[in-house]
Amino acid sequence: MSGWWSGASIRVRLTAWYMAVLTLMLVAYASATFLAVRHEFREQLEEQLHHDLESLAGGGHPEPDPEARLQQQLREIVVVLVLGLPLIVILAGVGGYVLARRALAPIDHLAAEARRITAERLDQRLSVPNEKDEIGRLAAVINDTFARLDASFGQLRRFTADASHELRTPLAVIRSIGEMGLRDTRAPAEYKEAIGSMLEEVDRLTRLVDTLLRLSRGDAGTIRLSLDILDLGDLARDVAASLGILAEERQQQLEVAAEANVRVSADRVVLRDAITNVVHNAITYGPAGSTIAMRVEADDVEAALSVADEGPGIPAEHRERIFDRFYRIDEGRSRASGGAGLGLAIARWAVEANGGRISLASSGTGSVFRITLPRSCVFSTNKNPNGA
Amino acid sequence: MVRVLVVEDERKLAQVLAAALEAEHYDVVVAATGEDGFYRANAERFDLVVLDLMLPGRSGLEILHTLRERQIDTPVLILTARDGVDDRVLGLDRGADDYLVKPFALPELLARIRALLRRGRPSDQLRLKAADLELDLVARRVIRGERQIELTTREFDLLEYLLRHQGHLVSREMLARDVWKEPRRATPLDNVIDVQMTRLRKKVDIDGPARLIHTVRGVGFVLREGEP
Repeated sequence: MSGWWSGASIRVRLTAWYMAVLTLMLVAYASATFLAVRHEFREQLEEQLHHDLESLAGGGHPEPDPEARLQQQLREIVVVLVLGLPLIVILAGVGGYVLARRALAPIDHLAAEARRITAERLDQRLSVPNEKDEIGRLAAVINDTFARLDASFGQLRRFTADASHELRTPLAVIRSIGEMGLRDTRAPAEYKEAIGSMLEEVDRLTRLVDTLLRLSRGDAGTIRLSLDILDLGDLARDVAASLGILAEERQQQLEVAAEANVRVSADRVVLRDAITNVVHNAITYGPAGSTIAMRVEADDVEAALSVADEGPGIPAEHRERIFDRFYRIDEGRSRASGGAGLGLAIARWAVEANGGRISLASSGTGSVFRITLPRSCVFSTNKNPNGA
Repeated sequence: MVRVLVVEDERKLAQVLAAALEAEHYDVVVAATGEDGFYRANAERFDLVVLDLMLPGRSGLEILHTLRERQIDTPVLILTARDGVDDRVLGLDRGADDYLVKPFALPELLARIRALLRRGRPSDQLRLKAADLELDLVARRVIRGERQIELTTREFDLLEYLLRHQGHLVSREMLARDVWKEPRRATPLDNVIDVQMTRLRKKVDIDGPARLIHTVRGVGFVLREGEP
């Protein structure tokens, strides 16, 4: 029974429900009517008998068997009710079925349309006949899902293409240097040079694979964070100290202005990586002699670390994708600085893994990267941070 | 002569390892399967075992475990292609003395092996020397010839590390981990290491009769008298 029930279409189930309820109601209504009519007839019969007795006493003729006539009338009513009731139910059922089919037809249509949209044709959308009714809203929601799927598929496809490009480049270099090296007999110094340059590419390849592995572990959620209560100001100064030498080389000022006691709960190594990448980015793209300002501030709920450079800024069309993997504004320049275009992608992953977000504001006079994290609930310095 | 057992099934890698270790004047025995490796480690005496974890037949972890159960305390350095924390912890828990993740740099492997073989013998050197360069660990002072060299803390640590590995190649991974104490090498840190090395070299080599600190392209750095 339940197997049949869940196997039947909504249309059939709706109609069956409808008919069952209708039958119950009609039976109840008919029974009530029948009982009321019978009661009424009985009263009439009593009255008649009374009347007959009186007229009999007065010498009149009584009606010939009034009880039999009453029974006859009641039987007719029952026949009408019993025959009419199924007829009405069947007629209503057919009507209900037709109505249900018409109401549900757009869903079948939707299903047929959705079935045609596969991974290769994710740009297609369902047609929405009426945006205001339930079906229209459903179609809009499904379309929304398709749009998100389309975006992530696109990102994945780009990522795979970019990753294979990045992996192939060093492979191509290694191969051609090796082939060139073997073509003629060369001086030992030349061989050393060739082997050294092959090793450099191997090194690049190794680091790239490491980074990709980390990112994919991050995606799969298999990296376990060890959360600590950290002072964001200390972390900023720590990063500034370790990268200070690079800023010095370019005659840049690397400044840290931090509010005291801005604490966040985060994985130190992961968050430090994020900040390092953002600051390194600022040092790389900030012009020589400029200032890079790191700032740590907080309100009641959030702590923020911003890194402002005086570089050329990032044009609006690049801002959306600047955190995407392998995304570079200037292909040649950042490759020369040794990056694979993964620094900011790592930074975004690292910040988001710690429950924060990273954003970019940019104008012609520089860029400001801002890392926002939920503020840790431990405010006082004299409390044991591990007891929180 | 120091005897080293290399248990590695990848033939090319085993050959290169053997050649590199022989160049360092170790007596090298190569075992290509887990069974062979286990048999030799059990039957013969070695000063060190280099053990691949992924082996056909008998896994590296099993070999390690059985060796330790039989009270064989030869230092073991494990090689693994997986760098998950669990794999490392598992290996060290089973009694490994050190581990390296593939692909590793040969200079690093050699440095680790030297460290393991040195273990237990305290290094009581308070002065490190190379040619006319002298580093005093107690006074934290550096002298080249007659000239005293002023170094920052980081430069001093870096020079000390180079001197301790004198004549041997030092990779950027090693510097990142041992001098900068960073768990992972990354592009920003690579740049920092290069800049720091350039500055140190300027201070150390500028007036010296011969260059001591050399860059070996694609590999790292070496402190050595004469040509690298």
